[in-house]
Amino acid sequence: MTDDVSVAPSDGSAVAVAAAGGGRGERRSGLSRGVATWWRALRGMRLGGAMILAILVASFVVPAVSPYDPLAATGPTLAAPSADHLFGTDNLGRDVFTRTFTAARLDIGVALLGVAFPLFIGTVVGALLGLSRSRALAAVVGTIIDAINAFPMLALIIGLVAVLGIGLKSVIIALAFTNWARYARIARTRAMVVGKQDYVLAAKTLGYPRRRILLRHVMPNVSAETIAYGLSDFVLVILTVAGLSFLGLGVRPPTPEWGSMMSEGRLFLQTAWWMTVFPGLALSWTGVAVAFVAEGFRRRQRGDL
Amino acid sequence: MKKQEGGAQSAPPSGSRSALTGWLRSPVLQRCVQAVFVALSVMIVAFSLMRLAPGDPVRTLLGDAATEELVAQYNEKLGLTGSTPEQFWSYLRGALHGDLGTSVITGQEVVDVIARALPVTLWLIAVTLTMAIAVSLPLALYIAVSRRPWVGHLYRILTSISLATPVFFWGLMAILFFSMYLGVAPVAGYEPGFPGNLEYLWLPALVNCFVLVPVLSRVLHSSLVSTQDEEFVETGIVRGVPRRKWFWRYLLRPSLAPTVALVGYMIGQMMSSAVIVEIMFGLPGIGTQLVNAVYQRDYAVVQGTVLVFGLIVVVVGLVGDLLGRWLDRRVDLV
Repeated sequence: MTDDVSVAPSDGSAVAVAAAGGGRGERRSGLSRGVATWWRALRGMRLGGAMILAILVASFVVPAVSPYDPLAATGPTLAAPSADHLFGTDNLGRDVFTRTFTAARLDIGVALLGVAFPLFIGTVVGALLGLSRSRALAAVVGTIIDAINAFPMLALIIGLVAVLGIGLKSVIIALAFTNWARYARIARTRAMVVGKQDYVLAAKTLGYPRRRILLRHVMPNVSAETIAYGLSDFVLVILTVAGLSFLGLGVRPPTPEWGSMMSEGRLFLQTAWWMTVFPGLALSWTGVAVAFVAEGFRRRQRGDL
Repeated sequence: MKKQEGGAQSAPPSGSRSALTGWLRSPVLQRCVQAVFVALSVMIVAFSLMRLAPGDPVRTLLGDAATEELVAQYNEKLGLTGSTPEQFWSYLRGALHGDLGTSVITGQEVVDVIARALPVTLWLIAVTLTMAIAVSLPLALYIAVSRRPWVGHLYRILTSISLATPVFFWGLMAILFFSMYLGVAPVAGYEPGFPGNLEYLWLPALVNCFVLVPVLSRVLHSSLVSTQDEEFVETGIVRGVPRRKWFWRYLLRPSLAPTVALVGYMIGQMMSSAVIVEIMFGLPGIGTQLVNAVYQRDYAVVQGTVLVFGLIVVVVGLVGDLLGRWLDRRVDLV
């Protein structure tokens, strides 16, 4: 959903018309310089990449070196953050620090699957549809795509989880079922454009089989586009996975997962804020990191670095 | 995003044609017909939900110990008897007559359940939209007119963070701060009736805004920037149009058109977060109904609420498109 409207930040070129004269604020304060530095790091995808790397490393290192079992009570209940328990303990006396980073692998892994399946299905279906000469097929599949896209994503996923049964497997299937349509729409549009390009016509004239044209000439172009979308979709998907668990429709306790940890912590919000805040921060951290990378990737693709 | 058309495309001229065919060719009518088709396919998807389940949903619901008789009875209640086209036909006929089946858990009519819950959700959307517009419009204007580059950079960083943070995290923080620390909002609950309900709605709406404002203001901002490049904006200044009129008629109105058309799409996205927000704040809207129905395996209610969610998006999308068209005739509808 993260829009593709990202316009280069207003540099005042057009506004100059509106506001006659007035020098551009070139006096650079400390804040301004600070923001500019962050902006450069962000643009080059370095910041986002480093953030992703950090959480991935932590998700493997912390559970390995931590003296605590993420599933077992290892301390007093509802203890505030301290040197022993960096993020405190939850209502069952489990170490929140260990649980938060154990959950990272699960959340990121599920979100990856939740992006990969629809990305693959949508790209293939969309590319075939864009090249297909059958108008009936295009109309039927096109209507299905529009209908699925018309739903609020979460409502349809919840409906699917209802019939498939609560659990992680259902969440992944439901994500694949609802999200492929958005990739298919992008892939179809792209394939229709690519299919008319000279090099595809040339390949056709040379008598190459359709399979080769599809795989060698059309697919690389189409998938570049859908993968770029998949990157920003990842943010939405990881929030959806955690949201479903928060609602009690995804991962079941006691498995550590950010959404379900926050849902448990919700009952102790006033007495033990650490149960909610730390998993929430970890989730935001991951989401922001991928969003930064996605934004950098889009910029790089457009060529305005 | 598909409906923005920057070029100087005008509506098809209907000059010499008869009034009737001109009317039939009107893009407004075509857009309405398109909405009906999408609504119909939305119904097909909602209908297919229960039929996609692996195995027999009724068996899953009742358990293995259920007698054949009971299973047949439930199949009858859920409209799962007969061939698929027959089922769809009776489902469609029922839906058009305002009959979406009966809850097998509570025995209530699904339509009644939705009729009770829908006003809450619509109120939540209305309050959220009002707040989001009140914030986004000045924000986007400020960013677009600001001549300091770091303002734009900071804005993009902050909106990225806001969008990548789960709505339930914002929600819990808002409850912690406003309800528990400051004590200025109820923790949960709802009371129907305007303006009393605003007391319960303002905080959930504010939380929803964390998702909506970044998207809305980004679209508005990019739209303002591209309007500034249009020649008529400059022409307005050269011709000495009064400043206020220039601002509203030359700059803002054409910028709003594509935004309004996109609000429909964005409300769809917002409905997703509205489900979570409703649950979190104990608002008895259709999102809460949907999730509760899932817990209870109340398939009829699940099907009904999912359908309503889809239809809301279709209707709001249509209204947004028509409104955008009214603001700027150059917007393409179909």
